[in-house]
Amino acid sequence: MKLSETFNNGLIKENPIFVQLVGMCSTLAVTTSAKNGLAMGLAVTGVLVGSNLVISLIRNVIPDKIRIPSFIVVIATFVTMIEMFMKAYAPALYSALGLFIPLIVVNCIIFARAESFASKNKPIPAIVDGLGMGLGYTVALIILASIRELLGAGTLFEHQIMGAGYQPVLIAIMPPGAFIILGILIGIFNKVRMNNEEKKAAQEEKATVEA
Amino acid sequence: MNETLKLGLILLLITAVSAFILAASNNATSAKIEEADKIANDEARKETLPDAKDFEPIDKEKLDSIQSSNEGVLEIFEGKDESGEIVGYTLKNLVGGFGGDIQVMTGISVEGKITGMKILSHSETPGLGAKAEEPEFQERFKGIPTENDLVIVKESPSNNNEVEAITSATITSNAVADGVNLAREIYNSQLSK
Repeated sequence: MKLSETFNNGLIKENPIFVQLVGMCSTLAVTTSAKNGLAMGLAVTGVLVGSNLVISLIRNVIPDKIRIPSFIVVIATFVTMIEMFMKAYAPALYSALGLFIPLIVVNCIIFARAESFASKNKPIPAIVDGLGMGLGYTVALIILASIRELLGAGTLFEHQIMGAGYQPVLIAIMPPGAFIILGILIGIFNKVRMNNEEKKAAQEEKATVEA
Repeated sequence: MNETLKLGLILLLITAVSAFILAASNNATSAKIEEADKIANDEARKETLPDAKDFEPIDKEKLDSIQSSNEGVLEIFEGKDESGEIVGYTLKNLVGGFGGDIQVMTGISVEGKITGMKILSHSETPGLGAKAEEPEFQERFKGIPTENDLVIVKESPSNNNEVEAITSATITSNAVADGVNLAREIYNSQLSK
């Protein structure tokens, strides 16, 4: 697979949130504001790129029988490092994300990429896969969080968008809102994706008929 | 070689390397984390008791005796003006909120008025309880006398010991009020003389 394909795979075709539906717990929980969504997305991307690289490098050294504990140790090490550096250099951000940073360890996206991609591929594709998947996750989080913040608080990245008379739709920012909006987004995303695939198939068919 | 032993050794090697890396990053960040905490606390003290120039922790024995009967009290500082006169106190209290513990700092002047309230850390719902962090809510506590119990109300306050709750976050509002009330009680019983 070409590198650009690997990247696109994570960003769109196999988008972790909209297509694979992995890592839902953190997705639903942190997307109450666009800023939190962005920060969580970037933190996960950082961990994903790091853990994919290291796991790819040591993939031939680790015996198959202990690969799962080994992956967990690598992932947990990266998460703890990010936690420490965030606490030291971005304490405000850390206090906003607090609980969800340690939970990156059990985010299925990271483990899924380690198991299904990084442990079977060379370091460069593994990094690209981490970037693609991480950014795919980040974009999905930002879209979901922006809609929730806009509806539920009338703001976007903490800037007032809706007029002063706007009555916030509180449910958007509460847990049920996360499920409802995510469901609608997944529906739209898949509809667009299927339309595109149909168009592509029709074009190919036309091309073969003409030939 | 026995396979189990071999697997165990490899795992040991991986965890040892990871422990080494973590120790190194802890070394690189711990001083900075402490500093960031200290700066945040210093700023919070200045905000909650703006009249004071210098802050010093109160007498250790006194703090111990207060803490032995009030578990939520984390620290108490006395604030002094330029001439070294005590102008008030800041109390950092821990209370249980909706999503977890909330650290509330309260400033009380020697005249017996609340000079400020600030949330230092919390895990309340963003958009709802997390609004306790916003200056708009914290302002509502300013100037309230310490004699009477502070009460959270849902309408505009009609008495000077009432504070309007955050919309849809009554539990958080009450928790914050608990923290301020604890500070108030300690001030009345231990510090005001």
